[in-house]
Amino acid sequence: MSLLVDKLCWGHTVPGGGWRQLFANFDFQSPTGEFTVVIGSNGSGKSTFLNLLAGTLHSNSGSIRLHDKPLQQLSDHRRARRIGRVMQNPLEGTCPGLTIAENLRLAEGRRRSVISWRGLSGVHPSRADRRRYRDLLEQLGLPLADRIDTLVGQLSGGQRQTISLVMATLGQPQLLLLDEHTAALDPRAEATVMALTDRLVRQLGTTALMVTHSLDQALSFGDRLVMLHEGRILGDWNARERQHLTPESLREMYGAARVRQTN
Amino acid sequence: MTGHNAPMLSLWLGAYDQGLAYASLALGTYLTLRVLNFADLTVDGSFALGGGTAAVLITNGVPVPLAILAAVVLGGLAGTITALIHTRLGVNDLFAGILTTTGLYTVTLRVMGRSNIPITDITPVVNWPDFGQGDDGRWAIALTCVLLGMVALIALLLATDFGLALRAIGNNPTMARANAVNQGLGLTLGIAAGNALVGLSGALVAMYQGFADVTMGIGSLILGLGMVIIGESVLRPRSVPTALFAVVVGAILFRLLIAIALQLGLDPVDLKLTTAVLLLAAMSLGHIKLPGLNASPQDAASEPAAIAGSEAEADPLPGEQP
Repeated sequence: MSLLVDKLCWGHTVPGGGWRQLFANFDFQSPTGEFTVVIGSNGSGKSTFLNLLAGTLHSNSGSIRLHDKPLQQLSDHRRARRIGRVMQNPLEGTCPGLTIAENLRLAEGRRRSVISWRGLSGVHPSRADRRRYRDLLEQLGLPLADRIDTLVGQLSGGQRQTISLVMATLGQPQLLLLDEHTAALDPRAEATVMALTDRLVRQLGTTALMVTHSLDQALSFGDRLVMLHEGRILGDWNARERQHLTPESLREMYGAARVRQTN
Repeated sequence: MTGHNAPMLSLWLGAYDQGLAYASLALGTYLTLRVLNFADLTVDGSFALGGGTAAVLITNGVPVPLAILAAVVLGGLAGTITALIHTRLGVNDLFAGILTTTGLYTVTLRVMGRSNIPITDITPVVNWPDFGQGDDGRWAIALTCVLLGMVALIALLLATDFGLALRAIGNNPTMARANAVNQGLGLTLGIAAGNALVGLSGALVAMYQGFADVTMGIGSLILGLGMVIIGESVLRPRSVPTALFAVVVGAILFRLLIAIALQLGLDPVDLKLTTAVLLLAAMSLGHIKLPGLNASPQDAASEPAAIAGSEAEADPLPGEQP
């Protein structure tokens, strides 16, 4: 099993005092190469789950193992070496003051320890690096190949998110986390980025988790669909089972869960 | 050379020398403030520490290069302390710097033994040519050579993967973390290097002016920032090497403006106020936002002095609405 989450617990204080236990003995498994789409209403724990995996939040107890390596024992930057991540906000996932080539070089070096003597070996991105990035962007059919020396801050939101996505897949990540990465895009840019997402995830063959609010995306992409509610798995379908679902049936499940919670 | 031209040349050369001596303060400020986006007030303390250390060692017969090296090392150590307070204890960058600087006042005073040390006799290590300008000429040649080498070295360092990671930390720390950059170590090394440069500047300034004073560091951060801003306003750099060059030019221009003001009859008592007004004018003219930190992700697209970019406008993806 590539990703193994066992008895994960995480909670937080709430305004006015008190404690909300969001995840209590939460279990999750995903084999290598599986592309899981995670849906759920606001506050269901989707993004929190991704943050716990990425290490931006720290669990109270339980274990997270990636290819048998306990992630919680690793420092933040060592954990990040194994995980590619695309954030919701296109502004967060890239360095606007660096060029496209520099951003890609930074992502490619994720596996190396660049804040060390190793990081001093030569000028980068070199001419060869830039040629490689140009070829990569051309292969992916992106019209940015001739603009690799452009500052990322000068790109549109969709273009930034595209670069962020390409960056997340560089450096051979063992886990790819996509946190509502098309939420800030207009419908046409969203379609372009989602098509690229599907292609890159398949090409990479790594375990991927995508959080989304879009039920259309949930029913069209990935090998598995998981519905979260209040830190629990409410539904778990493989691609075949998912064919019987519709946006309406998913909405009904949300509604029923909310009614149960209120009662 | 006519009798009228000689004082003018001396004024220019003196300002050039002082600018070069202060240039490593500006380079250190550039490294911490612009590259790492870290408002580092340690600079005020490390400048005086560098000057005081060099003065004590030189007056005790230690060779000048060793005295300068000690100033550099102690400056770097001061920066390391601030960085560790910030990264390990989670203290805000400004407070971490203020804490270190406050402590450094005592350290500098202890190192110096008294508040002011004159440096009367400096034995030159290299017999630099003076081109008929005496000590001013020798200083000019020596400092120009040293600074050119230093700018080249820093530019090279910032062009490596290591430098790229430092720039990423200052530009978008969230993204740097997500790409496995060891932010704590990067900040520590960067701030240490910045303050090592400031310590060097303190030593050079003390040697040039012929004394070190425990209060010589007051206002150094603002002075360094002003030099950076003047250089950027004048040269509008678009790459890291030109930005470093602009910082040096800014330092020289700044000292020149001060020299001209003094020449025009400015009372030295009014120097600090004049400096503050000059810096304010430079900041306003340059349209550079305070506190002079790196572009935030939100406004980077409109940042005029952004590093190493092209003029291209944002084009949409195929199928994306412009």
